[in-house]
Amino acid sequence: MTYLPEDRGAELRAFFFETAAEILQSLNEAGLDLEARPTDEEVLRRLRRAVHTLKGDSAACGFTSLSQFAHQLEDVLTPQVAHAQGARLAEVVLAAADAFEALLRALQNKSEPPALDKLLAIIRDIAGTVPAANTPSITQAAASHAFAWTEYEQLMIAEAEHRGEPVFNLALHVDTNSPMRAAAFQLIRNVLHSTGTVLALRPEDSVDSATITIVEAALASRLPEDKVVARCNIPSVVCEVRIERARAANSLEQELLADLLEAQQKAAQAEATPDSHTAATDLEQAGEPSPAVAAVTDASLRVDAGRIDSVMNLVGELIIGKSMLNRALADLEQRHARDPVRAKLADALAFQARVLDELHKCVLKIRMVPVEQLFRRFPRVVRDVAKQCGKDVALEIAGQNTDLDKSILDALAEPLMHLVRNAVDHGIEDADERIAAGKPARGTLYLKAYHQGTQVVIEVRDDGKGIDLPRVRARAIQNGLLKPEEAERLTEQEAISLIFSNGFSTAAEVTSVSGRGVGMDVVRNVLDRLKGTVNVTTQPGRGTTIQLRAPLTLASIQTLLFRVAGRLFAIPLSSVVEITRVTASDISRVDQREVLRLREQILSLVRLDHLTQIHAVEPQPAKRKNTSFVIVIGSADRRFGLVVDSMVGEEELVIKALPSEIISSDLVSGASILGDGTVVLILNVPAVLSRLSRTTPLGAIA
Amino acid sequence: MAQFAPLLRKDHQPVRYLVVDDSVFARKNLMKMIEMFGGEIAGEAGDGLTAIAEFNRTKPDVVLMDITMPQMEGIEAVERIVRQHPHARIVMVSSVGYQENILAALQKGAKHFVQKPVKPEVLYEILRYVLSDDPSAAGAPVGVPVALAGEPRS
Repeated sequence: MTYLPEDRGAELRAFFFETAAEILQSLNEAGLDLEARPTDEEVLRRLRRAVHTLKGDSAACGFTSLSQFAHQLEDVLTPQVAHAQGARLAEVVLAAADAFEALLRALQNKSEPPALDKLLAIIRDIAGTVPAANTPSITQAAASHAFAWTEYEQLMIAEAEHRGEPVFNLALHVDTNSPMRAAAFQLIRNVLHSTGTVLALRPEDSVDSATITIVEAALASRLPEDKVVARCNIPSVVCEVRIERARAANSLEQELLADLLEAQQKAAQAEATPDSHTAATDLEQAGEPSPAVAAVTDASLRVDAGRIDSVMNLVGELIIGKSMLNRALADLEQRHARDPVRAKLADALAFQARVLDELHKCVLKIRMVPVEQLFRRFPRVVRDVAKQCGKDVALEIAGQNTDLDKSILDALAEPLMHLVRNAVDHGIEDADERIAAGKPARGTLYLKAYHQGTQVVIEVRDDGKGIDLPRVRARAIQNGLLKPEEAERLTEQEAISLIFSNGFSTAAEVTSVSGRGVGMDVVRNVLDRLKGTVNVTTQPGRGTTIQLRAPLTLASIQTLLFRVAGRLFAIPLSSVVEITRVTASDISRVDQREVLRLREQILSLVRLDHLTQIHAVEPQPAKRKNTSFVIVIGSADRRFGLVVDSMVGEEELVIKALPSEIISSDLVSGASILGDGTVVLILNVPAVLSRLSRTTPLGAIA
Repeated sequence: MAQFAPLLRKDHQPVRYLVVDDSVFARKNLMKMIEMFGGEIAGEAGDGLTAIAEFNRTKPDVVLMDITMPQMEGIEAVERIVRQHPHARIVMVSSVGYQENILAALQKGAKHFVQKPVKPEVLYEILRYVLSDDPSAAGAPVGVPVALAGEPRS
């Protein structure tokens, strides 16, 4: 086979790694299905196709170790082996999936590939258990007669085999007593065509059939071999029939071509069905293992994420440009309110803003991917962790079609993995414990995603024992995070949020006792970075629900601008519950905290200038003012009031990522530029909240 | 003459034949063989047009059709019958010199052909083969002779 030039080769390999990940995913899924239904031939077919694709693709990239391994695995993925081995085959498939992953990683990083000898030995062992039924006839026939099909014919044969149609190579010896060879040939042709699909025929037509003695054919037929032979044994025309199962796809190139051909056909079918779009999606959802070709046939493009990011950035600049124009327009309005040009300009700007808005949405949509991409790895994770812990856990997934920004999806992968592992490991009890508690022996983990406003919510819920809050409190005191009397005062929510504190999670025994803790600070950190929230609710004995909320997209957010001590801040509009005007006398002090009674509810107040120790830039500090505003902020289930000096307005901000060394405080999650060039800091609501709840009364900070 | 196990239909009834030839002698000859094979004569015709009419009337299991006949040639009759009855089993009966016509008949949908003079054992094998092909009638796999599936005729 011919290798591509180096640059094309690199491109091809990059593409291969991308598609291989998808193949691995479907391999994992099919492996789990096989575990559930060990002899399901449809599942086996899916597995075989996945492995087959991997084999062909990897060989095309020159990764022989990978393709050979795939080849070995492919050979045991037969109904016979499945029947002989039962659940063991699924084990092997899953182990092989892991091995593939390790191999791929090694190839990608150009590091030492993992040793596969053990797994290969198992596979060979499994292969040995099959009763060798059909092999001898094949080798015999192949030895006695060589069929020389053209490349195209071999391609057709490979493709038919790939479809699952057995292909037979036939050599029919024409009865030499038959004087009418042309008629004989015609009859043979008729019979072949009525028996199956003739993929290749020698001689090709009856031109030179007068002297013909042997008719060779490659026939795809679903009839059993003996029936095919019987059909071809045409009395008074054919005196001898030789048959063998065609083994066309020796060359990997041809296999690749066959895959392509198949994809083309699929595409044709998809077009033929009136509902071609859903057909394509179904295909994708079914995890069909031909992603490489599916990408071609779905009329979709694979684009480097960096290119989309730069488009996104430019759109962001345009949005900033829009607000610059709007400010200029506002200035113009003040000076030349009556000028008809102003109205024209305003119209033009409104039009441009509308188009820009559309453009923005379109670009955002490009980045949107269904959360299914993330969810689909969890069946395997849950299975593995449950198996390790000796538990029986079912996973229920809902809302996998919920879209969200690819970068957010990627960022959520790690925290979600933590949460799912934790839920299975610590949340859900052993079967005995569950039965003792009057619950079904099998625990259930629910993964759910849905949109809420401009946010996406991902929920991990288990029906386990819940978080042991008294233990959490005790542990926090023990770790010196809290004083005993403070712990007493903590509300349930505040106690739960202790598990997110840095350093809390490292105490291993707490993890095993209370159920949660490992990496919870990581979860919190990621969500903070995404300007999202984590919300935990737990019921002792009933289970725990963890909600991750993240914005649908990172690129821009609707914000509320306000001033504190002369500085401009913004907070995401999505976390604003309401704004109220207060006078100094409305604010009272309880337990060293400033609180506001708002419609019979007590609201803790936060002053940014206290928290951040910012220095007022205005000559007259805002404190002197008698009235100020309180922005009621809801983050997760908690609310607090932010005391601000003045409101500025709403603004759509394009967030500019700030390097972490520039941001000295975790209270600020990013920055943006307003139309007039002013830099505005975006407040990190969860961080403010955690400071509020974690710390001692405010006075201590200020 | 060799003994032939009767060729029977799937329902164990005798196979019904339509014999088409313009020569009465040829028909008699074929009919005698059919009898030997345990078959039943559903009808006979001396030309293509009558053959079509007889086919439609009798719905035979097998047609033995001569190539050259007055009124309508065998080929045309084959074409017309197959067009209406795609599963009709028609075996062409012809002399050696008519290979072109047999070729044409095969292309039009004839199932097999046999040379004159017809040898019973050759015709028997051909009939057995032709009868075995289609699940709508004989049905038994070719490997197992259809005839053996039925009770021997007493």
